[in-house]
Amino acid sequence: MAEFIKNRVNRGIVFAIVIIFLELIGFTVTVTIMIGKFADVRRATDPIFLMIFFAILGLWNGTCGKDLPQKTIRNFILGGFISGLVTGILVGITAFILGYLNIQGVDLRQYLVQLSSFTIELFLYNLTPPAGAFAHILIFTISGLLGGLLSYVSEKGHYFKFLKEKTTDFFQTVTNHPLIQQIWGKRYTRYILYTLGIAALILLPQQIGSYWNFILGTVGIYILLGLGLNLIVGLSGQLVLGYVAFFAIGAYTFALLSAPKPYDINMNFWLALGFGILAATLTGVLLGLPILNLRGDYLAIVTLAFGEIIRNLIRSDLLTPYTLGPRGVREIAEPTLFGRSFSSEVDYMYIIILTVFLLIFITDRIQNSRVGRAWLAIKDDQTVAQANGVNTFKYKLLALALGAAFAGLAGGVFAARNQFTGPEDHTLMVSINVLCLVIVGGMGSIPGIILGAFVLKGIPEMLRDFEIYRMLFFGVLLIIMMIVRPEGLWPAKRPVLEKRKSAPGGDMDEKAGKTIEGVQDAG
Amino acid sequence: MPVSIETQKVTKYFGGLTAVNEVDLIVPENSISSIIGPNGAGKTTLFNCISGFYTPNKGKIFFQGHEIQNSSTEIVAKLGIARTYQNIRLFANMTAIENILVGHHPRLTVGWMDAVIHTKRFRKEEKDSIEEGRRLLKFVGLEGLGDNLARNLPYGAQRRLEIARALANHPALLLLDEPTAGMNPQETDQMTRFIRNLKDELGITILLIEHDMRVVMGISDQITVLDYGMKIAEGNAKAIQSNSKVIEAYLGPGGLALSEKFRHKKTKTL
Repeated sequence: MAEFIKNRVNRGIVFAIVIIFLELIGFTVTVTIMIGKFADVRRATDPIFLMIFFAILGLWNGTCGKDLPQKTIRNFILGGFISGLVTGILVGITAFILGYLNIQGVDLRQYLVQLSSFTIELFLYNLTPPAGAFAHILIFTISGLLGGLLSYVSEKGHYFKFLKEKTTDFFQTVTNHPLIQQIWGKRYTRYILYTLGIAALILLPQQIGSYWNFILGTVGIYILLGLGLNLIVGLSGQLVLGYVAFFAIGAYTFALLSAPKPYDINMNFWLALGFGILAATLTGVLLGLPILNLRGDYLAIVTLAFGEIIRNLIRSDLLTPYTLGPRGVREIAEPTLFGRSFSSEVDYMYIIILTVFLLIFITDRIQNSRVGRAWLAIKDDQTVAQANGVNTFKYKLLALALGAAFAGLAGGVFAARNQFTGPEDHTLMVSINVLCLVIVGGMGSIPGIILGAFVLKGIPEMLRDFEIYRMLFFGVLLIIMMIVRPEGLWPAKRPVLEKRKSAPGGDMDEKAGKTIEGVQDAG
Repeated sequence: MPVSIETQKVTKYFGGLTAVNEVDLIVPENSISSIIGPNGAGKTTLFNCISGFYTPNKGKIFFQGHEIQNSSTEIVAKLGIARTYQNIRLFANMTAIENILVGHHPRLTVGWMDAVIHTKRFRKEEKDSIEEGRRLLKFVGLEGLGDNLARNLPYGAQRRLEIARALANHPALLLLDEPTAGMNPQETDQMTRFIRNLKDELGITILLIEHDMRVVMGISDQITVLDYGMKIAEGNAKAIQSNSKVIEAYLGPGGLALSEKFRHKKTKTL
């Protein structure tokens, strides 16, 4: 029993620390405005929204499960109550102290930038310090109690397990539903679905307006980068941290060749794009030759440094006459085809969509071939791969070169869409973002990368208020992912090769062996 | 009789320790040879020298007349030497049949461009390769398990898959490092028969390291005994069993007398 109370108190303390931390970094204001915008824009900073946020956290705080000695309703309520009370008291005391100091006229922003008196007043729900502190205790205790009760209701403590089972059941019922099976199993119905999907992709950019085109375009460019880095990290298993270097070289080669300043070459869009890809690929090969014999951490450090060197070179005084330094390159060429200019935001969206499809096609075909298998073998066990006759150096170099080419293409498209490229577009954060989306999505998995790009790039773009907390969000998300789903949101699946029938067999075989269907048709 | 592999005074140091000391070994074509010896005798180090993992400090290694002591594992594999490992080293996150396809790698030729365009050559090679992969799965008794991830296979199946991967390269010489380690008597018997089949049906020369004396004595045409990195005996099963140096290496000084006494007792009770 004492053990149980200790656990609940601990949990309460942890939650209190998290909430106090959120207050100290000013997150409480942001989250209030975020919820407020969804609910009622005119009263976006109403303390009621903060109360809602804290109540949700409080519910979570109150959930009990494994830690209970006996799963009786009394224990559940008691557990939730104890955690809630502890959190409430600690948060209340903090709020009281902050509020008291604020009234005394102490400017806490000297120590913590976000602690303006507005932040503190909001934290006290615009009440006096004692009343605010009391409100905290009340909210956390009640929500903790309710959380405990909720745990009891949802299958006596199997709160999350219950939810998880429900969702898995749901997905299984959907995917195994005879109707779905029939539609997906038949070839012609599948083609109709594909056609509908393509039609949607053609029509959507015209309908959604420039804001959404911009966001989805950014997501698309990150999908391109993700696909490229996936070849290097996800398939061949080489940890490259300076991936942005290839992106920068692609963008700058493209921009310098096609812009009027500084060289006045004014090259055609497509030709310049080709040169951008070529330059990035060459850089990949030249970088790879000396360093690809390094393994793991060493490779990561060297490539990390390389990425920073490229960015600093671009913005250095030394190269300013050639790269225009920190000001960046402007008035980049617009794409033309048959004399018509393709430069509206909708056209750029189409270009991005087409490029994404092209790269998905290439990746998919390579990964299901001898080359892709050699990469996976290197990733799993380089020594043994080599002992099986795989030229590991050659294949690692190939992965780096192709990945760099993908990045070069993405860089060109990115520069063209923005009509500008500068050194600040190519910071270390780009490399880290791309690496994160590959890991979060699922290494080596194409749908995973698309999903990852939407989650890590799309959602933060939409929630602009969230921008400054993106690193926090990343950190938390990565930690949760590594614990809960280390294989990624949509893990890679290996193709079915042994059981695939050559003759038109069952629907399942056809579906599973989709990627090598061409082989069978020919044979 | 043509020679498959020959080592001449192969020596390998690790710092001050001489793991393999001037070992001469001749393995005839189409035979089963075993290397035995107490733990730490240098058996696996010798294997690693032959398969290119280590470069010997001294001495030469010939495979079908080629000098290979300075070749990388990749080159050695391409020449036709395949091996398995003491602690199983499969590509754990690939399916069983994909492991075999990686084994095919040196015999295939298509590049990434062929894969992207799906050229005729690519389609044919891929199809043949998968066909052969299925055959090999069947040969090692893993039919129907090919689409499981290698790490999800049971232990015995993993051992056999490792051999299948080695066979995929059509080796002329197969090095097996403790193929029956961790197996029960029944599985061991199966594996022994399987190894003999490899020689008889596929004509592959086999060199193996093994601790299970029943296996070694049962299938070896030639046995080499190492102790402290040195070759102390060589011959057929009978000669090795009665070799006093071997008994001493395994049982320590005075071991010979001990074993005589044991034999005496045994005959008495019989």
